[in-house]
Amino acid sequence: MILDLHAHSVKSDDGRAKVRNYCQWIRKKEIGIDGFVLTEHRQFDRESDYGPLAAEFDLAILKASEVETEYGHVLVFGVREPLTHALDFADIRLPLARVLEESDRHGAIAVPCHPGRTRVGMCAHVEALGVPTGVRILEVLNGGSRGREDQAAQELASAQGWLGIGGSDAHIVSHIGRCATRFPGPIADEGDLVEALRAEEFEAISWKSTT
Amino acid sequence: MEIDDLKRDWLNLDFDEQKFELRADQMLDFARAVGETAPRFTDPDDPDFQAPPTFTARFHSRRLLPDEFPRIGLPLDAGKAVMPQHPLRAGTELVGRSHLHEIYEKTGRSGRMIFLVARMELYEGEKLASIVDSRMVIREKPNQ
Amino acid sequence: MTSRRFSDVEFGEDLPPLTPDTSIPNVTTFVKAAGMLNERFTDHEAARKQGLPGAIVPGIMSQAVMASMIHHWAPEAQVEKIDTVFRAPVLVGHPHTVTGVVTDMDDDAHTVEIDLTLENEAGETRVLGTATVRLP
Repeated sequence: MILDLHAHSVKSDDGRAKVRNYCQWIRKKEIGIDGFVLTEHRQFDRESDYGPLAAEFDLAILKASEVETEYGHVLVFGVREPLTHALDFADIRLPLARVLEESDRHGAIAVPCHPGRTRVGMCAHVEALGVPTGVRILEVLNGGSRGREDQAAQELASAQGWLGIGGSDAHIVSHIGRCATRFPGPIADEGDLVEALRAEEFEAISWKSTT
Repeated sequence: MEIDDLKRDWLNLDFDEQKFELRADQMLDFARAVGETAPRFTDPDDPDFQAPPTFTARFHSRRLLPDEFPRIGLPLDAGKAVMPQHPLRAGTELVGRSHLHEIYEKTGRSGRMIFLVARMELYEGEKLASIVDSRMVIREKPNQ
Repeated sequence: MTSRRFSDVEFGEDLPPLTPDTSIPNVTTFVKAAGMLNERFTDHEAARKQGLPGAIVPGIMSQAVMASMIHHWAPEAQVEKIDTVFRAPVLVGHPHTVTGVVTDMDDDAHTVEIDLTLENEAGETRVLGTATVRLP
């Protein structure tokens, strides 16, 4: 099963894509993914029910979050209500250690994203702050990366023995599925996704035409 | 600088008003330089001659931000949205009124940043002619 | 020019790409017309002194080029909204390509949504946007 693990909809302040249009686009353009995860900035979108859309387009549409820490942005998969009380998702200065710890405690998993990107990515902070403990997975392929950003991410992951996922970081419809993650088995919901990530059997893939 | 304080003190208050004139020569050069070829943008003799839709993005308020707005850093251009309301003809005078429409914060490629959206509403007489949103980003100075 | 009606458009349709003229003389014409004369747009050396990699195309010129591409595709299109994010500098004198694709259609309003990108030679997105466009 292939999922784009990083996408934003109009629910994010800088997102311009409607979720229905993502679905239409994936089917119309025959994008090789089986679903995507909406990782809205600094929030967890409790309200939206994408079940009917998922059924209509036969796609997995899962919900997660992208929060902000001193090491840059971090995707949190498997968010449930108690975690949103334990962490203030809107806080742009969350300590990474707390995000990792609370995610773990609440059955979620935290994955630093676009680490090669200046300031908002982990690579830029490792020198000053040291290599954080508790990270297992890094987003090593990001659809919005420029230049050597993905390469820097892969080098960091490889040096630390961390695993890598891929996500498009799409903010507009036509960018969905540029990068994704391949899992060996089916993933129907957020719980399955956390399990699959913990099983550590996945690989990041990219369909970007350039690096 | 607390974002809620900025919102409370500065959102939705007009801070600038300015008049602008739509000049045919500028409309034409603007259109040609960006590759427009439709006669309504490139031929002043066309009965439907008008400014390209984003022409109003060139109009600026006298100041980027209200005079008393806290000096938290240098505002940089982060994007622009234009919402034309109807065709604009040469010789028209527009009045642009500006207010801060949105204020929010995030960490971006350049560290912690405060985003401001300054909205200019351009009126032709009583009629709203165009809306221009200018997104600005202020990179927080250290120890702020 | 061929007229393009709403009924002619398909979801997912690519607009013909446009190659903007980013030469110094053309950018100079633009900045004069836009009343934004500044050497950072027209002089590589002066731009470098301002800390830029070279002279840069003004953001509103990239935005207007995107609108122009829409008119090439559908000459009678009325742009209702165009929203652009300037992600990285667009260098004067370098080849760039503007692309667009239809990502939503409103049958009642006869409007379409278009994703817009301006990329450099390396395929990196420098300007990103969306437009809402009304068609006859």
